[in-house]
Amino acid sequence: MVKIIKGAVHDMIRLEKVYKTFPNTTVPAVDKISFTIEKGNICVFVGPSGCGKTTILRMINRLVEPTGGSIYIDGENIMETDADQLRRRIGYVIQQIGLLPHRTIGQNVGLVPRLLKWPEDRINKRVMELLEIVGLDPRETARKYPYQLSGGQMQRAGVARALAVDPPIMLMDEPFGAVDPIVRGHLQDEFLRLQQEVKKTICFVTHDINEALKMGDYIVVLNAGKLVQKGTPLEMLSDPANDFVKDLIGDDRGVKLLDLTRAESLLQASTSETDKAVRECSCYIDAVQPVKMALEVMMKNNSDVVGIRRGSEVVGTLSWTEIKQHINKISGDQ
Amino acid sequence: MNFEFNRFVEAMFDRSPPYILEHVQLVLIPLGIATAVAFPIGVLLTRPRFRRYTDRVMGIFNAGQTIPPLAVIAVFFPFFGLGYRPALIALTIYALLPIARNTLAGMSSVSPEVKEAARGMGMTEWQILNQVEIPLSLSVVMSGIKTSAVLTAGTAALAALVGGKGMGAVIFAGINFFRMELILAGTLYIAIIALAIDRLLSFIEGRLTPSYMK
Amino acid sequence: MEVILNVINFILNNSSRILEYTINHFSLVFTVLGFSLVLWITVGLLISKYDRYAGSVIGLANIIFVIPSISLFGIFVTIPQLGLGRKSAALALILYAMMPLVRNVYRGVKSVDQSVLESGRGMGMSDTEILFQIQIPMAWPVVFAGIRVTAVMITGMATVATFIGERNLGRLIHHGITRGNEDIIIAGAVVVSLIALMLDFILGKVEKKLTSPGLRQSG
Repeated sequence: MVKIIKGAVHDMIRLEKVYKTFPNTTVPAVDKISFTIEKGNICVFVGPSGCGKTTILRMINRLVEPTGGSIYIDGENIMETDADQLRRRIGYVIQQIGLLPHRTIGQNVGLVPRLLKWPEDRINKRVMELLEIVGLDPRETARKYPYQLSGGQMQRAGVARALAVDPPIMLMDEPFGAVDPIVRGHLQDEFLRLQQEVKKTICFVTHDINEALKMGDYIVVLNAGKLVQKGTPLEMLSDPANDFVKDLIGDDRGVKLLDLTRAESLLQASTSETDKAVRECSCYIDAVQPVKMALEVMMKNNSDVVGIRRGSEVVGTLSWTEIKQHINKISGDQ
Repeated sequence: MNFEFNRFVEAMFDRSPPYILEHVQLVLIPLGIATAVAFPIGVLLTRPRFRRYTDRVMGIFNAGQTIPPLAVIAVFFPFFGLGYRPALIALTIYALLPIARNTLAGMSSVSPEVKEAARGMGMTEWQILNQVEIPLSLSVVMSGIKTSAVLTAGTAALAALVGGKGMGAVIFAGINFFRMELILAGTLYIAIIALAIDRLLSFIEGRLTPSYMK
Repeated sequence: MEVILNVINFILNNSSRILEYTINHFSLVFTVLGFSLVLWITVGLLISKYDRYAGSVIGLANIIFVIPSISLFGIFVTIPQLGLGRKSAALALILYAMMPLVRNVYRGVKSVDQSVLESGRGMGMSDTEILFQIQIPMAWPVVFAGIRVTAVMITGMATVATFIGERNLGRLIHHGITRGNEDIIIAGAVVVSLIALMLDFILGKVEKKLTSPGLRQSG
């Protein structure tokens, strides 16, 4: 992929020296931040409370006006568009969801299309489609009111609403925060599946580093209004920029890394001994599965090695020793 | 305008004072009775056993304020004649609603978690009521009693119409003779009485609030 | 009992007079309501937008409300431009309506959940769209409760306006008192009470109909 010049097609969102100082404060909430987000990627903003992540998110759809710097969406400076028009082209999902309690789910999901004056039958069709996509029964749910839904269902409805006019960009502020961890896990998985199909450019705010590592194509770590590090989850884990990032990730950095490292990257050649051991317990994992999976299999079968397959062909092995060495190498520079 | 300062002073210090005590009685007695009736009933309605009567009972209290006070006084006429007693009864009925409504609201607003914790510590229903629910809803209930006090002080002016005496006499005199000084003086005293009772109630509230909640 | 028969008799014999009084009563009430709704709802909306005035405006409304109705009627009567009758009564009643209306409009608007407003703005709704599609429908139940309380209150207070010259239902009661005639007093009381209760009941039904089913569960 060739990155050409600034403002290229692949840069969907671009921030240049953006900063924000709120009235009656001296310290800026966001301090001259610049980065770009490429089309079709999920970029997660993560950091402690007050780091500015939500402020940056809300500057992208101008719910907060920047004090300085510029923000470009698809090459256009957002200050040159009418704010309301801008927001209708961006999906917005917040933690408390904010469904209108006095309207049905159907009316809620169809809100922006109605603002844009779509014809009624197109709206209805789209609403049904969307409810289906987010995993809600269209006929049942559309006529219900928010108070009749569970937390998880409301969250899905919120996402459906944000997708209504198929906006290229979505801003999500702790969207899965208000539900319990099990439901959250499911919602995250389904959302990632959805993203495979729709490939939107998404800005996602969370304070949970694990969510960030799971959801993000890119992670932006923020602290006190400043950008600390930007990179892929793998980059973050293997090469944290400073102690702050290390602390944020936590002590189990090595293990977390295992979740992101494919088995094939630590592949070793099989020997006759390993072949025998592996066949005896029939411990295999696929080459593209995370190394963490290998550990699971090893523990379940009480084995030191697993075989690595591509399809049905065995291409190598992975041993516990190798994994240990890898973790030590990563955590080595503590 | 029919207003002379001298006559106002005269109204304030000569003409009105005789009625002060009567008026205070016309407020405190109904207030006391209304509290003694509405508060326990309000508390009862929050108990699970009686919850289904809430709508009906509140409907009755609501009617007490919906029906114009004048009419309430009048309706009791055949039984008690005119005068002090029917006025007191009417004012008591009128005073019920704010107290009942606020008691209900205050008690309902006590968070279930606090009650749950108390139950978990082994407190009996009665203890929870006395030591948790009532203290926590005290300020809302008191606010209802204060509202009721103010309303009663104002409505008590009508008592004079039916022979019930009170500051209303001064005001009606002012209307009949077109003298604003009297109307103002009467009104001022009613406001002073209402304020004094409000202060008194705040004082009582302070005394009733356990020190750790202040 | 004999009393009941007498009362019914009285009502039937004087039905035209009672009707006249009722019509006068309601013309006063509706005139007052008309002005009050327009005036105080606007004020309420204004102070919800400009918060710093809210305290003093509601404070003023409270002070006015505390004044006994008869006093306010009386004070206006002695003002030459107003005098006895409708103008004084209406003015006083409009002032009394300030408290329940302004307070309920303010409370209603303020009670709208912040997160709903946030998501509305985030979706690109303009200020007008937010006002009409979110704030007004969501504030409406509280506002209407205020309107209902005001309507019933004004109906009741209007009876006192008899003393300053209004020929309405309060007059029945007054006649009865001055003549010492039980039946008239009761007849007056009963008619007024029934009308007040009916008004409250009807408005209650209207309130239920106008509230979105999605809102009835909350709060």
